[in-house]
Formats: sequence, structure tokens, C-alpha cells
Amino acid sequence: MKSDGVRASKARTGEWAARWADFKYTLYLLRRNPLVLVGSLLALVFIILSLTANYFVDPSLARPTGYPEFGGNYPFQRSYVWSKGHFINWGPGVKLWDGPEFFYLGTDGWGRDLLKMIILALPVDMENAVIITLLGALFGTLLGTLAGYAGGIIDEGILRVTDIFFAFPGLVLALVFAAMFGRTIPTLRLAIVLVWWPPYVRLMRGQILSEKEKSYVEAVRALGAGYPKNFSVIQECHNVISNKIVALGAGRLKFLMNSFLLLSQRVVNGVLDHLVLLGMHLRILFRHIFPNSIYPTLVQATLDFGGSILTFSALMFLGFSPSPSLPELGNLAADGYSHVFDAPWLIVFPGLVMLIIALAFNLVGDGLRDILDPKLRR
Amino acid sequence: MIFVLCGVSLVVFYLARGFPSGIDPVTPYIHQRMTAEQIEEVRRIHGFDQPIYVQFFYWLRDALRGDFGITGAWANSRPAMDVFLSAFPLTIQLSSAAIILTVAIGIPLGIISAIKNNKLPDHISRIIALTGYSTPSYWFGFILQLVFFYYFLLWGLPHFPSSGASGMEAAVPWVTGMPVLDGLLAGNLEYALDALAHLILPAFSLAFISLGFLARIVRASMLEVLRQDYITLARSKGLKERVVIYRHAMKNALIPAVTLTGIFFAMLLGGAMITEQVFNWPGVGRLSLRAVFQGDSNFLLVYTLALAVIVVVANLIVDIAYVFLDPRIKY
Repeated sequence: MKSDGVRASKARTGEWAARWADFKYTLYLLRRNPLVLVGSLLALVFIILSLTANYFVDPSLARPTGYPEFGGNYPFQRSYVWSKGHFINWGPGVKLWDGPEFFYLGTDGWGRDLLKMIILALPVDMENAVIITLLGALFGTLLGTLAGYAGGIIDEGILRVTDIFFAFPGLVLALVFAAMFGRTIPTLRLAIVLVWWPPYVRLMRGQILSEKEKSYVEAVRALGAGYPKNFSVIQECHNVISNKIVALGAGRLKFLMNSFLLLSQRVVNGVLDHLVLLGMHLRILFRHIFPNSIYPTLVQATLDFGGSILTFSALMFLGFSPSPSLPELGNLAADGYSHVFDAPWLIVFPGLVMLIIALAFNLVGDGLRDILDPKLRR
Repeated sequence: MIFVLCGVSLVVFYLARGFPSGIDPVTPYIHQRMTAEQIEEVRRIHGFDQPIYVQFFYWLRDALRGDFGITGAWANSRPAMDVFLSAFPLTIQLSSAAIILTVAIGIPLGIISAIKNNKLPDHISRIIALTGYSTPSYWFGFILQLVFFYYFLLWGLPHFPSSGASGMEAAVPWVTGMPVLDGLLAGNLEYALDALAHLILPAFSLAFISLGFLARIVRASMLEVLRQDYITLARSKGLKERVVIYRHAMKNALIPAVTLTGIFFAMLLGGAMITEQVFNWPGVGRLSLRAVFQGDSNFLLVYTLALAVIVVVANLIVDIAYVFLDPRIKY
């Protein structure tokens, strides 16, 4: 027994060593690709910044304050550039305002510092992106796994439903949903999740389909994966149930009751057996097939992360913003919509930040795809 | 396909009509001076007081005859289908121009990226492609407007128009509804060129997103193809690298890109909504936004359903074309 344990632990350390070596090789590949490195650093910076944004900037600054004589609006912080006989409003950070503060990116229509609003917007956007990506990927992956593993009519049904959702141009369905359920942030998130899950179904289904035919799945099935080590446990359960049922029926309406009880005993035992079978399937699925087919989904989720921020902000821009003063990158940019030509920084900088976030995550995802793809790896 | 279309219409209809919190379907049929009783009467006449599944079958019956109800006062209460059809060619013109730009830039970008794998051109093309699909499209539209319209105007350079589909009065007969084509058909070159100038900025802003997507796909499939044995054979025959790539590899590498045309079309038609809003392009996307904010579910239903039908049909055509493109596949 002891030698068994030692051997197992040795095998385990060997396995971990192999994993560690694999991980180191991944890191090496990562280092060799500078763009991915830059992308991951940027992504990391944005994640940290969004987690600590409220320590940098007082969140109460987002509340719109302003002079009533401007209709609640503060005049923009402007700087003037002389160009070919015209004044154009450009050049943030130039101090023309004699207030106590220096605005690096100028101010917005509410008199708020644009840089601070962008920092405050980061947690909102990151939260949206995480929730949308997680929900979409989770839902799509589960459906895809089910479709791929179960096959048959379940597969067919899930695929047809997915086809229906694939037929809509993404933003259009989200638009209809948002129009119907009002303009709150959870509704908008749900609206995007509604169009976010179908690609994951196809991706996961394809992976599971190709993976479940491989010989290692057959091998673990032959080895009895998911079955109890010895059947005495199950037998014990069966016996206990039988005894209980016999004890219940003893001495009363013997014949009728007993036949009914026997029937129910068989049903209960049958359910038990099916549970064991389900346990086997679930174990094979989640212990063996799932880990081998999850990588493309992870890559897709990373690639979609930036996309979800963009789509959310697009909805904001199209007029589904819950409140015009909400610090959210798309909302800030949409706020500058009516001032494109006289206050371009209102739209340029929030958009630029969005672009950088999305680009960072896309670089990571794109690099991950190359690194994790076994065909491109070696 | 029929099943998908049925499912699509069911989903759209339930989304647009099935929820009391949403848009009231009676909105296009009433005006402000109607009394509550009159509104109820209108509601009863149009069957909006019936259960939702009954409404669905009425709507489906009318829709199959091409009758989608009328739009509200915002579009002069014309039939929703007419409003859609009069603006749709403009959206088609925009999307087709964007597709042409996407293909013309995206495919070479992907091929260069694959040939010079992990070298400087690959990195540059990767940055362009990834920037493409990391860009908020409305933001990019604004930047284009700002630079090529506003600043070029200020600097006295030749500039592009910032909004609309054509700046001149329609001096040409309405044939296809697309200003560029109509101008060419009528022989009015000035009009066509003006329409083309209006088209360039929106089309580029729309194409910029899908361009990177296409480039990445072409790159991946090109890398896949370049590892095949027949490419090694072609090289070992002593063929020039150019011939190997353009005659032998490209044909097979482009097949996956072609199969994604349906998805591209969906992306572009959906994305056109934003571009149209930014550039004041009088297409269906902008109308649909107006419909949303005017509480007009009739037009919204036409719009959503029509786009879904187009995407489904495009996918079908791609599936059929696939057989001709790839002799290995037989049905």
C-alpha cells in the first residue's frame, strides 16, 4: 500500500514538474512575442487602475455640479490655437482657467475634470466587460458542451436555437432588447449577453465533438472513470432502501402494499443507478474532455473582453444611456457628440482609452491563440 | 432555413410586442388629440388587446402579404415596408462599399502577415488588424470627420463632406436608390462623384472594423496552407515564391474567408447603424433608431426581420458557393 502511495506521489510530482516546464515554455514563447507582452502589461495596468480608481479619485466628483446661469452646465475648459486665420479649440492641458485646478485633458460639459472622469469610468467599464463576458461565455459554453456531448436531438435543438440568434446582426437584437426593457445598466448588460453567447456554443460544441472521439476518452471510460471504486457502496444503498421499504410494508395491507413498494423500490434503485451513470458522464466530461477543449473558449473570451466594452459603449452612444452624467467611457464620448467640432477632446480621449483597453486585451488574446495552439506552438 | 426564419420572427415579435414594459404597439396609430376611448377603439380594431400569440399569427399573416403596418408621424405614416425599402438601397450602398474596402485591404494585409510570419511586417499588420477591431466605430467616424472634414476645411485643403449621402439635389431619376449607381446610370458624372465623395468616409469607418477581422482569418488559414505538402512540392519544383503564394496557396487560403462572408455581412449591416448615425447617412439603421425613440414597433419589426432574412439568405448562398469553390466538399 505504502509503495503505491509513494509511486502515486512521485508520479504527481513528475506531473507537476512537467506542467511547470510547460508553463515555463509558455512564458518563453510569451517573451519572444513583444506585442503580447506589451498587451498583457497594459491590460494589467488597466485592471489594477480600475480596482484602485476610487482611491485615486473621489467618486463624488462624478456628481454633476455647475453654475445655474449656464443651465447647469459649466463652460468648457478651452484652449485656443491660431491656425490659418481661424481659432480652433484644441490642446488640452493648456491653462486658461484661473481656477485652483489644472485640467490635463480639459473639462466636460458638467465642469468635471475629464481625466478624473475617465479614471472613474474604468471600474464601471471593467465590471461590465467581466460580467458580460463571463455570463455569455458560461452560458454558451455549457450549452455547447451539452450539445456536443449529448448529441442527437438535444444537439439538433440547441444548434437550431443558436442559428436563430446567429441570424441577427449583433447590435440590432441588443438594441431591441434595450428599447423594450428600459435604460438601466443591468438591462444593457443583459441585452449584450443576449447576443454574446452564440459563438461560444459553436466553438465549444466543435471542440467537444472532436475531443470525445479521441482514444483517451475511450481509455478512461474503459478504466471505469466515474464509477464508484467498488460497487459495495451502491449495493449497501440498495439494501438499506429495500429494508426500509420492507419494514414499512410489514404487517399491513400486505399483498397490494408490498407490490407497490417493490415497484417504488425498483424505481428508486433505477434512479440511483442512473445517478451513478450520470456521475460517470459528468466525470469524463468535466475531468477529461472539458479541460482539453476549453482553451479556444478562453482565447475567444479574452478577445471578446474588449469587444464587450465597445459594444456597451456603442449602446450608450446610440442613446440608451441611463443618465447623461454617468462616468462611463461610452457615455463620456456620447456626451461630446454635440461638441465634436468645438470641444473635440470630449470625444477623443474617452474613445482613445477604450481603444487602448480593447487593444490590450485583443493583443493578449491574439498572442494566447498562437501560444496555446498546439499546431503553431512547436 | 424555414425553421430559422420562423424562430427569428417569433423571437423578434415577442421581444418587440410581448412585454408590457416595452413599446406600446398602438403608438404609430394614434395622435395627441385622441381621447382615451378613441385610443382603446384603435387598439381593439388592430387587435392589440388580444393575447400575444393571437397577435403573432395576425402579424405573421399580414407580414407574409408584405403588410407590416404603418409608421408613426415621424415618417409621415407611410407603410413601414415602403419606408424601409426607400432607405434600404442607401444602406446597401454603404455596406457594399465597406465590403469592397474590407476585401481590398484585409486580404493583402493577411497574406503579408502570413508570409512574413513573426517578422516586422507581421507585427505591423497585426497592430493594424487588432486596432481595427478594437476601435469604437463611432469614435473612429468622429475622428475621420474631425480630420478630413473639419481640419482639412480649416487648413484650406480639399475635404470630404461630413454628412449625408449626397450633397446635390437629386437631378437623376430614382433607379436603384443608390446615388452613385443612379448618377452613373443617368450619365451624370458630377452627381456620381459627389455621391462617391460622400460615401468614402462612412465606408472606410465601417470597413475598418471588419478589415482586421478578415486579415486575421486570412493570416491563420494562409499559415495553415503554407505548411501543406503541396506547397513544399511547388517550392521544390523551383517555382518562384510569388507564383507559389498567389497561384497555389492563395486559392485554398481564401476559402475560409469566403465562408465568413455571411458573418461579415451581418457585422456590416449591424455596424452600419452606428456609422449611419455618426455620418447622418439616411439609411435604415438611422431610421430604426428614430423608430425606437418614437415608439414605433412596426418599423422596428420590419428592420430586424429584414436584416435577419438577409443574413440567413447570405449564409445559404455562401453554403452553396462553397461547393463550387472547394471540390473536396460534396453534399
